[in-house]
Amino acid sequence: MKKTIALHVWAFCSALLLTCALQAQTKTIVVKGRVTGQNGELIPGVSVTVKGTSDKGVTTQPDGSFQITVPAASTLLLSYVGYIRKEVNTGNGDQNLNIQLVANKNELDQVIVIGYGTRKKSDVTGAITSISQQAIQDVPAANLSQALQGQGAGIDIQKSGGNSKPGQSPNILIRGTRSVKAGNSPLFVIDGIPFSGSINDINQDDVASVEVLKDASSTAIYGSRGANGVILVTTKRGRTNQKPTITYSTYAGVTKSLGEYPLMNGEQYLQLKKWANYLGNPGTYTSIDDPKILTKAFAPEELQGIAMGRNTDWQKLVYKNGVTTDHQLGLSGGTENTQYALGAGFYSEGGVYPGQSFTRYTLKLSVDQQLGKYVKVGLSSLNTYSTTKGENANPMGQALRASPLASPYDTTGALINSYVPGSANQVWNPLANFLPGAAVETRNRIGTFSTFYLEATLAKGLKYRFNGGAEIRSDVYGNFYARNSTNNLGVASSAANENTLSTSYTLENLLTYDKTIADKHKINFTGLYSYQSFTPQYTAFSYTGLLSDQAQYYNPALGANYQGKGTLNPWAIISYMGRVNYGYNDKYLLTLTMRSDGSSRLAPGNKYHIFPSAAVAWNVMKEPFFNNVSNVSSLRLRASYGSVGNPAIDPYQTLGSLTTQVYNYGSTVTTGLYPNSVPNPSLDWEYTSTANIGVDFGFFQNRISGSIEAYHSYTKSMIMPVTLPGTSGIPNQILTNIGKSENKGIEVHISTVNIQSRSAHGVTWTSDFNFFINRGELTQLLPSINTTLDGKPADIQNKWFVGQPIGSFYDYQRTGIWQANSKDSAAAKALGQTVTGTKSVIGQAKLADRNGNNTIDAGDQYVVGSSQPKWEGGTTQRIAYRNFDFTVVAFARVGGMISSTLFGGGFTNTLQANYNNVNVAYWTPNNPTNDWPKANSAQTNPSNLSTFGYFSGSFLKIRSLTLGYNIPAQYVNKIGMRSIRVYATARDPFILFSPYRNKYHGIDPETAGTLGVDTPANWSMVFGLNVSL
Amino acid sequence: MKYNVIKKTYIWIAIALGAPALVFSPGCSKKLDENPQSVLTPAFFSTAQGFQSGLDAAYGGMRNLWGTENLFTTTCIGTDEFITGNDGTGNNINYYSSGYNPGDGKLNTLWNSCYTFINTCNGLMDNGPDIKGIDETKKNAMIAEAKFLRANYYFVLVQFWGNITLNKHFQSTPTTAAQRDSRADVYNFIIQDLKDAIAGLPASPLATGVLPGKANAAAARHILSKVYLARAGSPAAQASDYQDAYNMATGLISSSASLGLGLLTDFGSVYQEGNEMNTESLWTIQHTTNIPYNGPNNSSGTDNVLVHMWVPKYETFVLGMQRDIVNGRPYIRAIPTRWLTDTAFKDKSNDTRFNKTFQTVWYCNNAAGIPKWPSPVPAGVDPTLAGKPRFTLGDTACYMPGVNMTDAQIAATRYLLMPPRTYNIQMAPYMRKYVDTKRADMNSPSVRPVIVWTLSETYLVAAEAAYMLNKIPETVALINTIRTRAAYPNGNVANMQISAADLSLDFILDERSRELCGQMVRWWDLVRTHTAGVSNLLVRVRLHNTDGMNNIRAKDTLRPIPQSQMNSVTSGPAYGPMGDPLWN
Repeated sequence: MKKTIALHVWAFCSALLLTCALQAQTKTIVVKGRVTGQNGELIPGVSVTVKGTSDKGVTTQPDGSFQITVPAASTLLLSYVGYIRKEVNTGNGDQNLNIQLVANKNELDQVIVIGYGTRKKSDVTGAITSISQQAIQDVPAANLSQALQGQGAGIDIQKSGGNSKPGQSPNILIRGTRSVKAGNSPLFVIDGIPFSGSINDINQDDVASVEVLKDASSTAIYGSRGANGVILVTTKRGRTNQKPTITYSTYAGVTKSLGEYPLMNGEQYLQLKKWANYLGNPGTYTSIDDPKILTKAFAPEELQGIAMGRNTDWQKLVYKNGVTTDHQLGLSGGTENTQYALGAGFYSEGGVYPGQSFTRYTLKLSVDQQLGKYVKVGLSSLNTYSTTKGENANPMGQALRASPLASPYDTTGALINSYVPGSANQVWNPLANFLPGAAVETRNRIGTFSTFYLEATLAKGLKYRFNGGAEIRSDVYGNFYARNSTNNLGVASSAANENTLSTSYTLENLLTYDKTIADKHKINFTGLYSYQSFTPQYTAFSYTGLLSDQAQYYNPALGANYQGKGTLNPWAIISYMGRVNYGYNDKYLLTLTMRSDGSSRLAPGNKYHIFPSAAVAWNVMKEPFFNNVSNVSSLRLRASYGSVGNPAIDPYQTLGSLTTQVYNYGSTVTTGLYPNSVPNPSLDWEYTSTANIGVDFGFFQNRISGSIEAYHSYTKSMIMPVTLPGTSGIPNQILTNIGKSENKGIEVHISTVNIQSRSAHGVTWTSDFNFFINRGELTQLLPSINTTLDGKPADIQNKWFVGQPIGSFYDYQRTGIWQANSKDSAAAKALGQTVTGTKSVIGQAKLADRNGNNTIDAGDQYVVGSSQPKWEGGTTQRIAYRNFDFTVVAFARVGGMISSTLFGGGFTNTLQANYNNVNVAYWTPNNPTNDWPKANSAQTNPSNLSTFGYFSGSFLKIRSLTLGYNIPAQYVNKIGMRSIRVYATARDPFILFSPYRNKYHGIDPETAGTLGVDTPANWSMVFGLNVSL
Repeated sequence: MKYNVIKKTYIWIAIALGAPALVFSPGCSKKLDENPQSVLTPAFFSTAQGFQSGLDAAYGGMRNLWGTENLFTTTCIGTDEFITGNDGTGNNINYYSSGYNPGDGKLNTLWNSCYTFINTCNGLMDNGPDIKGIDETKKNAMIAEAKFLRANYYFVLVQFWGNITLNKHFQSTPTTAAQRDSRADVYNFIIQDLKDAIAGLPASPLATGVLPGKANAAAARHILSKVYLARAGSPAAQASDYQDAYNMATGLISSSASLGLGLLTDFGSVYQEGNEMNTESLWTIQHTTNIPYNGPNNSSGTDNVLVHMWVPKYETFVLGMQRDIVNGRPYIRAIPTRWLTDTAFKDKSNDTRFNKTFQTVWYCNNAAGIPKWPSPVPAGVDPTLAGKPRFTLGDTACYMPGVNMTDAQIAATRYLLMPPRTYNIQMAPYMRKYVDTKRADMNSPSVRPVIVWTLSETYLVAAEAAYMLNKIPETVALINTIRTRAAYPNGNVANMQISAADLSLDFILDERSRELCGQMVRWWDLVRTHTAGVSNLLVRVRLHNTDGMNNIRAKDTLRPIPQSQMNSVTSGPAYGPMGDPLWN
């Protein structure tokens, strides 16, 4: 019986399945869908076809939607320029699909921006890194520089001096440091016009793409200004035949300090102070427990604090959570003849210190208009108003030194607006600056950066283009500090005003000619004449003793003791440029560039120079012998060589200068002048020549693609600031062309599509990696230099060492601590060291007698290391599943050395116990360590403190972790929207593999230059929403 | 047809917009010329106005020396007179320890400042003949001033460093080479400058029309006598030096009355605040209450900070005291040696100078801090006072009697009683020559002029030269003039007189301490003089300076050439020892 039933069931099911299968053979279904990028942006114009048919299929609408009728269980094929082709299996019934396309980083048909033009990627001959809009938006960063961090090989972006305050802009180095004085910052060009403002004047949300020009061939077109690379920024513009699209995006979040500096707590500080006084006053006290130490060295409030077990965490009292808010509203659209884009932005960031914040309002407009068939005009205007508060507010000098045994409040609970007890009258209560109006510092910038072009087709292939750009910025700064603030320590109140007005304009005339001969010879010629002038005008004055604190910095008449200064430093550049591109059959490409620049900043006779370059490329894929290689999607080889210049010095450097010296004869006051600099009429450009070879590749339908570059650059006639001997009578450093440097390196970009689902709901995982190595060194100084280090020419005073990178650390070699035993005493004495009395070296840094002359002297110093890393790299990992996406951006810097002021200088590691100290295991007779010097109240700083401040600068930083969700189209459509995306991002949440942080409890090793002690690095958690109408 | 019209229109628009750029720009060669407006270039130096401002700057440069911590540290501490106070321990110079080396920033600053303003003076002298628009007489007077200033800068250099670079002309091109010239050449150059200055300067600081702080012939004569004396004590000594020094100093003394100059009656009024332009003061470095003109940033290396250097930690060490403007800002870079307070100033009754030089009593200015008698009270104190305040506002809070006291006496005294054995690096007699109550704030630097030389030093220079020339009666007479004045008003003048039997070079050095301690001269006095062929710096530091007595080495009689000077001479021969093998 049972068997019979089972049989029937089986037969029924089989029949049913068979029926279904037969039906599928013939049934057609309607597939609706929407195509988006990985972050939910809608992609119009995507071709949707059925695999294996010749049917043309459909293309997606401006809102990314499509509808197609196909046989059930088909495979849809989606393709669009700039994206990796995707296959999607349909089901058997009507359906509505959300399909994500993955951007193709190395799509050769993609058009990218180059200097003075655009070019198909397959036609590019130079080394250019393109950074997409998506990559910029992956990290909700404060400015464009921060957003670029970790995104491109050869682009080293680091916090300047470790500065993490709101409104700070990081340092950018492209392919290392090549210049000592002439600057290493790349040139920013926005919409074709050189940009003179601050990176904070740009709203990165207005940016459509960024191209970084790295080799001489691509930068040569910027001639004298291209030596440090060029960053081309293209802002968003409307597209042809685009329905009006409104976008709104916002995020908000909380910023927290990434940690506290590792200070001593009350008990540790008590012990330090006891030891310091015991060791610093030999013979005065019987032991560290001598009660006389307590009465002599501690303030009554501290003794009270000891009795009650007080342990004030001043950092906790000073830090707060900052709030970040961002709103961006955009409207764009276009018809056949008119395209427009409007953007309004608001960004506000609060720091972890209450006085610090940055707020920016931006308004962007661009219009492009076709006038008839031959003429096109366009305008783009970027307008910014920003307010930075507390840019110099650094409470650390107080917050890190205040005695943890003291309280910020008196017995009545009122704030002590005075020195913190037990701090040798040097540390003012850091909370005093929080009193309303006690410390005010504001910078307001308003500016416009507007560009205009007119393009006219004069004949077939011949175009004339006029580019005009104007940049006007006003920067108004004021500060006020009350008498009772950490800034004035109870002395008179003070205020300062600064005003800068800078105007810049650029005029360019361009002629381009395109001609294709016999279908095989493509010729493109670009000719340019350009003039740029920049005029910054600055005045500043300061005053003290304001009649009322209420006046702040608004009315100098209420102050006294005025001091003023000002500068007017205009410069101008005139350029002529020509460029020829020749392509044969799209296979062999050649670019020749020549630019002649004249700069006002150089001396007469040296003002003009010519910068040539040449580049070739070979599209190997186009060769017939490659036709049968199926797994290789693309392969190109490139090579370039050229020369660029760098006159990025201040105006008037060739003229010499006088400076002021005030004096008085009784009541007759005078302002004297004396020479502080001498003319250098022979000052010339600094030149960098770069050879670059590169390969672009793509395998497996570009599932793996990337590029590899190798370069070697030679900088000569380096502009270096020479410190003259004191006997010269010239106090200022003099800019002189001396020396050569070299940089060589390898850069690798790889993009992979690790998993590409064939269904609409599967997992897609893509990765971008960049990895780069740069090795720079000084290779030559003036032949007249006869001083050496380790047998190679060296200018010790200026710390320039042939064979070493620029910016090397030069110091003594610390081998330990001199111990209190007869062996060490004898050894120290033999080296001429004082071993008795207050100035004894016992318990202090033991230095190596490197030059072996049996005495510790200046000749024992050597190059301890440099900040140049062994390698750097970054990665972006994106995983999408259904409507969710998860992105990680990380970057690493490995092998460089940092010099930390926290441990090796400044005020936090004096071990004098006049005030609090970083928590180090200092030397005492009971703790004969070789790591840290002794506690000693009799010295302001341990001797050779800087030798304790060198650390490995390696780290891996998680730049961002983002989890996003795109609300399914069916819900979004119901409320009349095109797309809605929500996300959460943790910004800078982790620093890994950092010895400085993990072992020594520093906060953040990231720094360009010496790591200072300032309000700490921070991390934040933000929540965002992107809406498209 | 219509289409062509439109096309043409647009081309014209293009040209109209593009043309201005084309038209304006080719004539742009001028656009690349630099015409600085906010900075002045050395060319301005050769105008009449620039000439005057260069001279003003050369005077202003003196603020880098007198009044700064740098010159204070290198001339006052590390001698027999002063050792390091509690807050000066970061220094190595005055300990002569191994941490004291050519890298020392204070020495570097002094060195560089002197050469910078020597170059300024050289510019004045080189440009002088070509300058139009200044009356010749006035121009010559200005050049005499520049020579006076240049001689002063060189004199500081040669006394510290011996064989040094001698720049006689303006430096108009950058050079990384330098050579050392012999101290003999430097001394000759200084002497010639001063002779020229004496000829061209107004005779006296008090002559009509001479502004305070201006160079004058009296000051030039004084320094020239010191230059001869210094050279006489150096390896470049000339046979005539002591005689020349003697002639120059006694010449100034004998003509002083006619110049309106003369010793003041009271030693105490020489350094009295507000009295810096007195008949005894030969030259001052000026400061002003007009803050923007007092120093570039009012906290920089050109401020007069002598007011802070000796201020003890009275506010923490003495109960019942708080910081105020009269008692000063506790900086305590130096305290007197016990030799100075107890031996040199042994006689504190007939010789009034100790009490006019040092503050030894502090009056309570903080009622809240007044201590209470313990219970029970110490022996000898009224038992009813137990638990009551020991003194009241305005009473003595601390006193240094200068003689020893027992522990019982100390305990029974209501205020803090500090006999010499209790002097310490936080609290010791306070040098009051630089007290300044007119400063903007109790933490502000001084607005008082610094008195560089007084006529009383001329007497001591003359005495030292006379003694070296074996003119004993003249020496005794010169010293007794000073000592007679020192007794004013209550001392016994007769007890202050010395005879030939009392006289020795040591006595003269001790007398200089009594008269001039705390002036920026001591280190030079000691290196200039010798005992049995050994520099008195070595002799006396080993005897009296507890900081440096175990460390000082023969090479310490010269300062090390700054490391940055040696390092930055990168072309030509190295900046070598040049016969001064002691340091470099």
